[in-house]
Formats: sequence, structure tokens, C-alpha cells
Amino acid sequence: MSYAHHRRGGFSLRLLTGAGLVLFVIWSAAPILWLALSSVLEQRALIARPPDLSPQNLTLSNFITVIGSAAALGRGMLNSLIVALFATLASLALGAPAAYALARLSVPRASAIAFLVLATQMLPSIAIAIPLFLVISRLGLIDNLFSLGVVYLSFNLPIVIWILRNFFLGIPDGLEKAAAIDGAGVIGTFWHIVLPISLPPLGAAAVFAFVEAWNEFFFALILTRQSAQTVPLVIAAFAGQYQTVFGQMMAAALISVVPVILLAVLFRDWIVRGFADGMMKG
Amino acid sequence: MPSPATYEQRRQTAGLFLLAPSIVVLLAILGYPIVESLLLAFQKVQLAAGGIDRQFVGLANFQRLVADETFRRALLNTLYFAAAEVVLVVLIAFAIALLLNHPFGRAGLFRILLVVPWAIAPVANAVLWKWILNANYGVLNGLLQSLGIIDVYQVWLGTPVSALNFLLLVDVWKSVPFVALLLLAGLQRVPSVLYKAAYMDGASRLQTLMHVTLPSMRAAIAVAVVLQTIWSLRIFDLVFVLTRGGPADATVLLNFLAYRVTFNFLDIGYGAAIANVIFVMTILLAILYIRLVRPAGEAAR
Repeated sequence: MSYAHHRRGGFSLRLLTGAGLVLFVIWSAAPILWLALSSVLEQRALIARPPDLSPQNLTLSNFITVIGSAAALGRGMLNSLIVALFATLASLALGAPAAYALARLSVPRASAIAFLVLATQMLPSIAIAIPLFLVISRLGLIDNLFSLGVVYLSFNLPIVIWILRNFFLGIPDGLEKAAAIDGAGVIGTFWHIVLPISLPPLGAAAVFAFVEAWNEFFFALILTRQSAQTVPLVIAAFAGQYQTVFGQMMAAALISVVPVILLAVLFRDWIVRGFADGMMKG
Repeated sequence: MPSPATYEQRRQTAGLFLLAPSIVVLLAILGYPIVESLLLAFQKVQLAAGGIDRQFVGLANFQRLVADETFRRALLNTLYFAAAEVVLVVLIAFAIALLLNHPFGRAGLFRILLVVPWAIAPVANAVLWKWILNANYGVLNGLLQSLGIIDVYQVWLGTPVSALNFLLLVDVWKSVPFVALLLLAGLQRVPSVLYKAAYMDGASRLQTLMHVTLPSMRAAIAVAVVLQTIWSLRIFDLVFVLTRGGPADATVLLNFLAYRVTFNFLDIGYGAAIANVIFVMTILLAILYIRLVRPAGEAAR
């Protein structure tokens, strides 16, 4: 028996693996499928015991009602998009140069600084929420998309720096030396040589930052009132208000998660490599 | 005349220039609130008309903590929740990582199933599970009744122990995929020569798992445990949407208690004291994380 053959294992191990994978698929997919299915079923089908899944109960009316009646959902999506784009672009614009500096540019005590930066990401949000709320109210910036975006920037920045620094550490020395011999300055080398080969980790960092900002609830709850409410707040309010209209509740929840699910699925390879690897390395 | 800067000097100057904006932003947005939060915990804060009245009261807020029945309840809930969650998440995630590391587990579908629950907003996840667990029409009740496991529909979130454990289940479901990704990354870093050597030596699968895989994975598992503990201490959205802390404060976790005391009861100093308890727990875990992830010898650099 060859080694490659051995890796797959004997019959019982293959059976166990197959069964395990089936269980894993059911465990992961079932709740999501139920979310999708509930959103396209009539109320009467959902309140049957057990739920009546026959095809004549399929409908798009939940989506039509939710999109037509809940103006807050559209505004919430737009607010989330603005805040998440701002937090993502700003954290890349600030974080990529900082990560490059910490990885390659002989900044004194670079690795200690990198760890301190990462440590800020582990702060419990409640501890900084109270003072932030007091300051932002004093400045009159409650319910303001910009103040929310800046707060998210500060959460995303450490992760962006961490992911990118791990990547930049692996760039071969020769690349920068060659650029220097050709007369490129440090910043020119970063911009023209290093950034173009860093698209996968930049993408992973961007997707991560966007998803985190899109989904964030706690600070949005504390720092917004109405006009700047983001989509998680709208969904939570909707679920509180219309908690018996199950199909519409699921349609609203589904609409709110589709953008980030698409991003995560499209960029899954970058996320797996960039993020999972990044958290394990020092 | 100053001599022209060397290559290394120019790089260092440029480095400080590139690093400074990030450090300034982090210090401004996070540094000040951290200091302020520590101060608030030692103050009595009262919202007066048009302003805030702050007065140092020493350790009074922390003395209140010791006597506070609700705080003790929340602390116990949190400790139980975090411990149970870490054990469950890491065990399930490790099993999934092993499955996906097997040649059968390479299909793209499995990777998709790992990133989707991660991307779903905690709030949307909570809303979804509120519907799944619904006492009158929930699909969990429907399913279990059809299978003959329960006779009548259950109010899963209605009794203290059950509510806390269902909260736990929902969060485990949401957390497992990401930890599985971390552990899978760790598994794929175990050098394949070790497995080949074990195979040549005639080691059984169980022996290989115990003596090759687990020892090589020690750091990855430790990192997963510490990170998951930190994340468990942060849970808020789920409690807020699913139970609001009920029934009878059975699902009040420390984070939710600090929020409620501060923003509903407007007892800001006391809320800050509770927040600081979470802060200290997290800092200790963060130090542990950094020690685990930091390769030996880097400290000297």
C-alpha cells in the first residue's frame, strides 16, 4: 500500500470520515437553509405544526413587503455600506504602510509595537464604550456616520496591520534591494513593488474589515439614534417589532446578510490563507 | 555638512513616517477611553442637567460588586458560558479540521460552509435562532416532535438552565467554523515528513494522532482556546436579541450587565467597574495569547 493510499485510510476510517463530513454539512447548512426557506414561505405554512413545506406555499411576498414597507432597511443597508467602506478603505490606507514599516523598515522595537497594536483589538468593547460615548456626546457627534466609521477604523486597524505584517515579513530581501539599486526610494518601492504583489492579503484584510464593520452591533446601538442606524440595528428592531411575521423577519435578515456572505464566499481562499494563517504566526 | 543618510537610516525614517498615522489613530480612539474607563470605575458619576457630575469615591464601586447578587450571578453565568463554549468549540472545530484535512474533505463546498456562518452578523444569527427556537412554531419543536423525541412543544428559552444552554448552543454554532479554520491552518502546517516517518515506523492512526498530530498542534490549539475565551467574554448581541438577559437574569453575562447598568440604569461609575472586571480578565488572557503565539527568541530582537 502506497503512502498516498494510506492517507485515505482503510474502509472503516473512510466510512467514519464520510459520515463525519455529512454531519458537518447538516450542522452547518441546516440553519442557513431554514433561514432561506422560511423567507420564501407563506405565513400559514410557517405556523403549521410541523411547518408545511409543500411547494404551493412558496412566495416572494415576504421580500416584496419587507422591501416595500420597511424604508429603515434600505437606509440601514446604505448606512452600513458607507460606514463599512469608510472603515475598510481607511484601515487599509493607514494599516498597509504601518504594517510595511513594522515588518521591513527597521523601526525600533517593531515586534513589541506590533503586539501592542494587536492587544488593543482584544479590549472588551464595553470598557471603552462608556468613555467613547461620553466624549462623542460632548462633541455632538452621536447618530453620525463619520464618528461610527472612525470607531470601526480603530477596531479594524490592528487586524489589518497584523494580517499584512505577517505577509510583508515573508517578502524576500532581494526584491527591495534591487529596487533600491535601481534608484527607487523607500516609499516608491512600497508603492510600486510591494503593494502590487500583496493583493491577496490586502483582499483578505479588506474583506475582514468590511464584514466586521457591516455586522457590528454594540457600538452602533450606543452611538446611533435614528438617521445613522446601521443594518444590524434595523434587523434587531424589526425582529422585536414584527416578531410574529416570521417570513418577513427572515426575509429582512437574509437581505442584510447576503452582501457579506457573497464577499466571504467569493474571497474564501484569501480569507482562509490571510486570516487563519495570520492569527497563528508571531 | 551632514553626511548623506545610509540605506538603513533612510528606511528607518520612512518607517516611522509610515507608522505614525496608525499609532496616532489608535492612541486617540482607544488610548484615551482606556485611561478614562479606569478613572470612571473609581468615581460616582451622576447625570446632572446639562452636564456630568463626577466625584472620586475610592473603591466604593468595587465594594458594591462584592455584595451585588446580580453581579455574582452574571460572573458565574459568564464563567460557565466561557468554559463550556471553549471546550465545545475547540473539540468540534478540531474534529471538523481533521475531517477537512482528510483527502475527502478538500471539496470547495466545505470551505464555503466554514466562511458563511462566520460572515453572518451575530444579530441576524440571533434573529434566525429566535425563530428556530420559537415555542409555538419553531422548527426545532416541529422536528423533535415529528421524530417522537418530545411530546409537546417546549419553551426552550423559558427556563433559566435551558435558556443559558441554548444561548450557548447558538454561539457555539456561530463560533465553530472560524476556529476550525484556525486549526485547519495549524494542521496543514504539520510537516508531512512526520506523518511519513510515523507511517514507516508502523504507527497506528491513533498513535499518529496522539504522538504526531497533537504535539505539533499544541500551539495552534492553545491559541484557539485563548482567542475563543476572549471572544466568549465579549458576547452581547446574542443576549440582547435572544433573551435580554431573562428569564430571571439567567442569561445575564458580564458584558450585558455592564451595558444594562451603564446605559439603562445610567449608573456609569458602577458600569465602568464591571467593565473593568472584564477588562482585567481579557488582558490576562491576551498576555497568555501573546506568549503562546510569539516564537521563542523574538523577544530578544
